[in-house]
Amino acid sequence: MSLHQILLVLKREYMTRIRSKAFILATILIPVGMIAFIGIVIGISVWDSDTDRTIGIVDQTEVLYPRLTEISPERYEDFSKIPQDSLRALVQEQEVDGYVILNEDHITGNANPEFVSGGSGGLGLQQTIKSDLREVIRNERLARANVSDDVQKIYESQITLEMRKLTKEGKETDSDTGFMTVVGLAMGFIIFGSISGYGGLITRSVIEEKTNRIIEVIASSVKPIELLLGKMGGIGALALTQLTIWITTLIGLGMAAGPVAQMFMTPDMKENLANADQAAQASPALDPEIFSIPPIDASLIIYFIIFFLLGYLIYSAIFAALGSAVDSEADTQQYMFPIMVPIFIGYFIMFRAMENPDGMLSIVGSLIPFCTPIVMITRIAITDVPFWQIGLSILLMIGTFIGTMWLSAKIYSVGILSYGKSANWKELMKWIKE
Amino acid sequence: MAVIEVQNINKSFGDTQAVRDVSFEIPKGRIFGLLGPNGAGKTTAIRIINHILIADSGTVTINGMKVSSETQSMIGYMPEERGLYKKMKVGEQLIYLAQLKGLSHAEAKEKTRYWLDRFEATDWYHKEIGELSKGMSQKIQFIATIAHNPDIYIFDEPFSGLDPINSEMLKEIVIELRDKGNTILFSTHRMEQVEQMCDEICLFNKGRAVLKGNLRNIKQKFGKNTINIEFEGDASFLDKLEDVRINNRSTNFAEIRVLNGQHMQDILKTAMDHAEIYKFERVEPSLTEIFISTVGEDNINPNELG
Repeated sequence: MSLHQILLVLKREYMTRIRSKAFILATILIPVGMIAFIGIVIGISVWDSDTDRTIGIVDQTEVLYPRLTEISPERYEDFSKIPQDSLRALVQEQEVDGYVILNEDHITGNANPEFVSGGSGGLGLQQTIKSDLREVIRNERLARANVSDDVQKIYESQITLEMRKLTKEGKETDSDTGFMTVVGLAMGFIIFGSISGYGGLITRSVIEEKTNRIIEVIASSVKPIELLLGKMGGIGALALTQLTIWITTLIGLGMAAGPVAQMFMTPDMKENLANADQAAQASPALDPEIFSIPPIDASLIIYFIIFFLLGYLIYSAIFAALGSAVDSEADTQQYMFPIMVPIFIGYFIMFRAMENPDGMLSIVGSLIPFCTPIVMITRIAITDVPFWQIGLSILLMIGTFIGTMWLSAKIYSVGILSYGKSANWKELMKWIKE
Repeated sequence: MAVIEVQNINKSFGDTQAVRDVSFEIPKGRIFGLLGPNGAGKTTAIRIINHILIADSGTVTINGMKVSSETQSMIGYMPEERGLYKKMKVGEQLIYLAQLKGLSHAEAKEKTRYWLDRFEATDWYHKEIGELSKGMSQKIQFIATIAHNPDIYIFDEPFSGLDPINSEMLKEIVIELRDKGNTILFSTHRMEQVEQMCDEICLFNKGRAVLKGNLRNIKQKFGKNTINIEFEGDASFLDKLEDVRINNRSTNFAEIRVLNGQHMQDILKTAMDHAEIYKFERVEPSLTEIFISTVGEDNINPNELG
């Protein structure tokens, strides 16, 4: 094996691709597309929560309805003057979503209120009405019981849980679980996307050399294994370049976001912010530092690079072998499926790991080499993964890489020179045995 | 001294044996033709010589060295399936391919410039291959084969798919390279195309080398047992001739191989009775005829002619 030849191949793969329009476009469009996607998702959820519901209230107590309008002025409407028959008709005609008749028994606790609806609204609406009613009834009872202000305050007090994290060094810091979950998911997602994206690129690159028929000219100068390693290296370098561009841009934007947001904030808003801060007391409403990115451990970034590279290496060898075994891109389907299955399993376990990073599924998933890069990085970001698990997973991945590389090199060195038709599984086995 | 020495090589793909116990030698400074029908095993043998495939058994030496990555750079190889990177620029591509053959970047650049000038293609340097016509990219393919200035050249079916101009040009280049002392090996299934060019030949059939040696000697051994006849008139007399094999037959021409030592004068008499004879010539057999006699009915022992 000659390093000189590998580097020549690597350089060509890298240089011809990095200057290509496709690469430049993808580098710009993928983040734009993702931001647009996230924007649409947020937009939908904001727009969705605005759905107006109208609940008719027949208030025979005359005290509960005013309290309800205090909580939500738009949701509840006073229907006290409308006879019950008409109310039923209104619900049936879907003029209102439902109605509740409130009387003294409900305040004393002798009976439970009934919500009559046409069935629309779902669980969310029922929960809202339930908690609203509970609150107004409780407040009314408190008022009638003539309790002291102190006791009333006790009931009004809200409890939030402040998250503190105790590090191994004994330092107590603000817990950043929420933020780190996002980081972990993002890292897992990037590895997932890169493996499938750049893997596909390698497959296409191998097929291109076969269909162009340049492969035989190259094979008369370079060993198949040198060509394979050069190709994997070149496209891997391309992947790292693209990631570096994205991450630098992201960090740059993150650092700029705080000051920029301040600039756009009107004095009015700042005042509101300050007031909210004072009024909310213990509530975590708006942290002044909300716009700055909490620091990410250097070790996490190093792990990310290790898992990214190992994951890429394991899969890129397989994707290259796939390209050599087929005769055209259309024929890749039958092999693409079994390769994508473990990637997707890893992807789904990643979401499980987000909720329960130390659960059995997450631990097992993060130790299966084909899923490790995606699952383990998410776990490391969110929780303290024991070092033996990380070490073991890295060792397993290195072992797996040697295995896939060996198999792929065998398939590749035969496959690149067989034109005319795509190999089936039986032929692949034969190539491996040769 | 033999520049390429092939000894008892075998190669199988699954159940099919593509090359069986093949041996031949290519002397320095000669044009060597590897001839035979499609599927005879020529390309497999060539790939083994180029160290693209590894023989199951037997040895191949280039300039006395066993085939390896080092011997690869001594050879300029143009495969039957030709191709280049479509999206790469001509200059970069030629430099890259020459570098893979062991040239430094500067040397590769110099050679690329030289050959592009030589082929009057200087302004293609910055063009992508995809933009070039078929004839133009064929020229680039030649340059890619010869730019690193090896002393052995291997062309697999070089004339297939070439336009007449490039075909002529390639013949000239091959002869020029030979005259400079280089060794050339090429394969073809169109034997009549290369008769004038080859010094040495090896005939392939079903994976075996059935006949090999100096072309002149082989022809002489076969003797002047063939008649080239040009005539006008009724051609049906050709069908009446016995103990002959007729190749290259057309309306007013036939190449008649005389078998069993029949008197050629009798054939002339028969012909004169039926048609007007313009030309009647006793010649050595064509390569096609030699091939048919070798693998066909005559069953000549190849060793006799070595």
